[in-house]
Amino acid sequence: MTRSRSSIKKIALVSATLLLLSPLASLAALPSGQASTNSASSQAPSAGERWLHVRVTNPDSKDETVRVNVPLEMAEKVLPTINRDKLQHGKVKIDQIDSQGVDLRALVEAVRSSRDGEFVTVQNRDSDVRVAKQNGYLFVHVYDKSHSKKSQVEVKVPMKVVDALFSTGKDELDLVAGLHALSSQGDTELVTVKDHENTVRVWLDSKNISE
Amino acid sequence: MMLLAKVAAGLCGTLVLAGAYTFHEGVMRVDEDHGDGGHVHVWVPAAIVPFAIGVVPRHHLEHAAVQMGPWLPTLRVVAKELEKYPEAALVEVRDSRQHVRIGTHRGSLLIDVDAPGENVHVACPLVMVMDVASALEADAPGA
Repeated sequence: MTRSRSSIKKIALVSATLLLLSPLASLAALPSGQASTNSASSQAPSAGERWLHVRVTNPDSKDETVRVNVPLEMAEKVLPTINRDKLQHGKVKIDQIDSQGVDLRALVEAVRSSRDGEFVTVQNRDSDVRVAKQNGYLFVHVYDKSHSKKSQVEVKVPMKVVDALFSTGKDELDLVAGLHALSSQGDTELVTVKDHENTVRVWLDSKNISE
Repeated sequence: MMLLAKVAAGLCGTLVLAGAYTFHEGVMRVDEDHGDGGHVHVWVPAAIVPFAIGVVPRHHLEHAAVQMGPWLPTLRVVAKELEKYPEAALVEVRDSRQHVRIGTHRGSLLIDVDAPGENVHVACPLVMVMDVASALEADAPGA
């Protein structure tokens, strides 16, 4: 009986010690300087998670990179909490955007109701500009030839997202609705900008890391 | 002898419970290494931070709440949402001299800055960020 009591006490003491030390064990597994930015430490995203990625690279210097990975669901929840200047409750006032007298809403409505095709094509010595709608996407392509080193901008926006952005009041863009519409889209490349200094890519997928 | 053993067991049990409670939310760590040889290393159990806030003089908290006021709801929501992504690389900026990383690891927000002459590593449990944001919001004037 005494022997079994002694064993129970020992077990209790060992368990207590292990419990006490368990947080330290987790600390030991967290070396400083290891924010989980590498793919190995990133967790597999759960089904349905959508991530917006931004990557800026400098082709001349492999050392210079900017990588931003944002879960769309988080952006949807966080945006309405930011109320600064043009951004209020996840919406941006259109009249504060420099639209230079263009009725953006009418323009979008015209694009939305028209058939697939090329709407704007400008080709001159300095630049090529092309705006088109195809398979539910709005494409904007700008190729600037005016500089010694050329630059190129490609934008591909799902029309559903454009609709969602303009789904609110007359003079505002609903960014939260736009993000929500974006989250229902498949993996897609949204923006690519290439100039002589940097390459910028914005894309959407279900991975929580950018390659 | 038996009495002493019981007292010791009771003390151990209390220590275990206190230790487990103190560390159950993780540890906030701030490690700074400066080029001039200076170091700052602060490790604080996240669970005691809300208690510590409770003993900070109210006018200091109000000042902090006013300074951070517009961003407190954002901070609270960001921390709450990031809890869903315990292992994520959110931001990485690298050039030939500096490397900045912001991400989450095991439910903590990690910020690492490696620059010439200065390395800063911060690990902050997201639960603690939420607690602090909520506490400061409650102390904001007019709350």
